[in-house]
Amino acid sequence: MHHELVLMLLADARLPVGGHTQSGTVEAALAHGLTAHDVPAYLRTRLRSVTLVEAGSAVVARHRAACGGDLADVDVAWAARTPSSALRQASRGQGRTLRRLAGLLWPEALAPLHDLLAPSRATVLGAVAAHLGLPAGSLARLVGYDDVQTVCAAALKLAPLDPAVATGWVAAALPEIAALAAEVADLTSPGEIPAVGCPQIEVWAQAHAVTNRRLFRA
Amino acid sequence: MPEHAPHHEDSHHPGQHGQHGHPDRPLRLGVCGPVGTGKSSLIALLCRELAATLELAVITNDIYTDEDARFLRSAGVLEAERIRAVETGACPHTAIRDDISANLLAIEELEEDYDDLDVVLVESGGDNLTATFSPALVDAQIFVLDVAGGGDVARKGGPGIERADLLVVNKTDLAPYVGVDVPRMIGDARAVRAARPVLGLSRTDRASVEELITWVTGILASHRTGALIPRDPGPMARHSHAHQH
Repeated sequence: MHHELVLMLLADARLPVGGHTQSGTVEAALAHGLTAHDVPAYLRTRLRSVTLVEAGSAVVARHRAACGGDLADVDVAWAARTPSSALRQASRGQGRTLRRLAGLLWPEALAPLHDLLAPSRATVLGAVAAHLGLPAGSLARLVGYDDVQTVCAAALKLAPLDPAVATGWVAAALPEIAALAAEVADLTSPGEIPAVGCPQIEVWAQAHAVTNRRLFRA
Repeated sequence: MPEHAPHHEDSHHPGQHGQHGHPDRPLRLGVCGPVGTGKSSLIALLCRELAATLELAVITNDIYTDEDARFLRSAGVLEAERIRAVETGACPHTAIRDDISANLLAIEELEEDYDDLDVVLVESGGDNLTATFSPALVDAQIFVLDVAGGGDVARKGGPGIERADLLVVNKTDLAPYVGVDVPRMIGDARAVRAARPVLGLSRTDRASVEELITWVTGILASHRTGALIPRDPGPMARHSHAHQH
């Protein structure tokens, strides 16, 4: 399969893995004082922190899976760099939905995950990317792009915005996504995964998990 | 979150959804229909009537995630932990049809936490007349209308009205106050549903409640034998019988 087509398939919001239930914590951020005007800066902050961790973890998981190695310590490395239990739980839920889909479409892709009870989305995505032949850089760009679109799509539901403005934010973030990918594309071992948390996002995510009347899972 | 492969995760045939029964797991029964027609009340009624004899759990889908779940918990018909809400990202229609991931995840977690469940009830967020459940999410579905929504709604048809496994015309006790002729509304529904069942329901009409319970227990029995094949009401009109009236 051509890797560009694989990338399109995995990046498409119509992929049935529950993407529409996620906000990239922007629902909590807006509830705690961030304004729609701040969203572009929020995107950059994520791409340099939580999303960098996720992309790095996915790239290392992909490398390990492609070499027939163990993904358990990749998942542990991701968890150690994701201090918010709410974000870990949300990611493990997304990992499970992606694992279910892959189990139906590409069951062999799941072999490297065999020993893992509840791997993160990054770990599962890495295994799927390895199976489908998606290059490391493309995988990292996928993680970054998906995160930006998730935040912008949720912001459109939550704030009074022209959809074209939100798409403009995505377009403006593309160079930052490319920079993120360049930073992690060559990683091969769990110890190299960037450890850059963003305490404010993590605190918002924790608060969101116990909120009533939310629209998005996390 | 313990590993517990759902039935179809092992399948290598994604096209099989909806073409065979799942007697090895609890019945998944969907309840959908427009907002305000009494879906939550119908689920509370089912819990009240069935909880003594069956192990039940409920998933709610809502605009503001846990509104219906809180209503059901406050009704006290089931222990609170058996009633769980799913976030739909303001897309309740998507969450039961195009991308059922969040609902499947919640159902699987309930099935892991309570290994003796008989029925998982899935309530859709109140949506329009075109929203129906994917046959990959539920084994059977009830579509709920009410007399207060207007006597002509059943006649207008739509996928849920025409082809859900059961159509409930709810709140029949309100008919005198809203000027609706219940027999005519039910007759309209029967006309667009061919032989599929229609039930006029009121909490205050014991016979109608018994009829609902009989239908649900019949579906459960069918599910347990493996004979219940999920049938998709679909969004498409079936022109062969859609305008018989």
